[in-house]
Amino acid sequence: MKKIGKKIGFVAAMALVGLAILSTRYDMVDLPVWHFFGGGRGIDPASLHLQGEFVESNLGAAEGPAGSVTVRMIAQQFVFVPQCIVVPAAVPITFRITSADVVHTLSFLGTDYGLKAVPGAVTEATFTFAKAGEFKIPCHEFCGAGHYAMRGQLDVVPREQFASLLPGERRTCELR
Amino acid sequence: MSYVSQAARLRIKAAWLGTLVVVFAITILSLGRHSSAQSKNSEHISQPNSEPNSERNSEPAIRVPSNVAWTEETLTIVSSGDAFRGLLLARRCNHCHGEEGFSSVPTFPNLAGQDRLSFWKQMQDFRSGKRASPVMQGIAEGFPARASADLAAYYAMLPTASDPQDTRAFPQAMQDPSRASMAIHLIVFGDGQRGIPPCQSCHGPVSYVKGAPPLAAQNGDYLEQQLEHFSSGQRTNDINVRMRSIARQLTAEEKTAVSEYYGAGLGPGVNSR
Repeated sequence: MKKIGKKIGFVAAMALVGLAILSTRYDMVDLPVWHFFGGGRGIDPASLHLQGEFVESNLGAAEGPAGSVTVRMIAQQFVFVPQCIVVPAAVPITFRITSADVVHTLSFLGTDYGLKAVPGAVTEATFTFAKAGEFKIPCHEFCGAGHYAMRGQLDVVPREQFASLLPGERRTCELR
Repeated sequence: MSYVSQAARLRIKAAWLGTLVVVFAITILSLGRHSSAQSKNSEHISQPNSEPNSERNSEPAIRVPSNVAWTEETLTIVSSGDAFRGLLLARRCNHCHGEEGFSSVPTFPNLAGQDRLSFWKQMQDFRSGKRASPVMQGIAEGFPARASADLAAYYAMLPTASDPQDTRAFPQAMQDPSRASMAIHLIVFGDGQRGIPPCQSCHGPVSYVKGAPPLAAQNGDYLEQQLEHFSSGQRTNDINVRMRSIARQLTAEEKTAVSEYYGAGLGPGVNSR
């Protein structure tokens, strides 16, 4: 009798540990638990350029109705696209990023912020950059032979210099 | 003494524990931080015009760089090419690209030793007009997916060793050999400060990325022209803006240096001199 109780306790404990791990992962990455069971509902990293949120014409900074700014990015071997993004200071910026091949991690050098790009999933995080400046975005997760040269740039400009965008407009450094 | 037996009490405990686990699981599955965003997002995949964050009708017109995606089906089609059929089809290419896959005009690309995937992708892009070329578009229309795969298989197995009897333009000596150090630096190390990855990390021989052609036996004039077209936006068929991003960062001198270096047969790669 005592043995059965121990077994039940062990299984329950393992289940709780597993759920705890799943829940942390779930919290960090926009990756629902059912992906682990072959749901196949994620985005296809090989065809990001064909349809959906990460087509090349939709990348860069976009402005929402209430002045909110969303930046969409792709991390891939061995460049970030757009390679240079421009956002306003002191405004919450929502980053949505995915990977086209392997896992990449980017950080905004000089700030405390970072993001992980996972193939098949969208990572979303909201950061506010208090001051204007230029921040390098190196890749922090070893992603292949060109990893050490994988670097993007974030230009934070004062709010008044960031002219508001039209609904269908996307902004990168080239199209400032 | 309690009237509930030891075993029954254990069972009750187990039931409680089980209920707890189930409730916990349901909470995580249904009330997760991104569960609502994700469900909208998966709708979004099937209908590209709907958008999370109430940004409906605010998407720019979709621009698709290339209809080719490296899905399992595509890879199966490309890898099933028949080199012998390719040999017969290649007669249509010989006039410009040479009988041995080496062109006699330095602005035309060499096809010998080309990677199957990149060759196939360029043919599809010529056909669909995603890569603009008045000459190649008409020719590529005669090569559907299967025939392109056959051609790709044929050119992939052509040797890149030198042949004095051939009228090939490759290799051509560098016009300014002092640029060699600049070229080798970009090919081997890239420039991390500007976010330029080394050429050899995608184009080989260090590592390969799907759709990136090997460059070791390519004509320099052709390479320089293509780098120019990538940076000016004249050529836009690279998936996810990869080569356009890199070419934009290169200066004119760097483009010339890298192209001439590869064009002189000095670049690292399989079967290069």
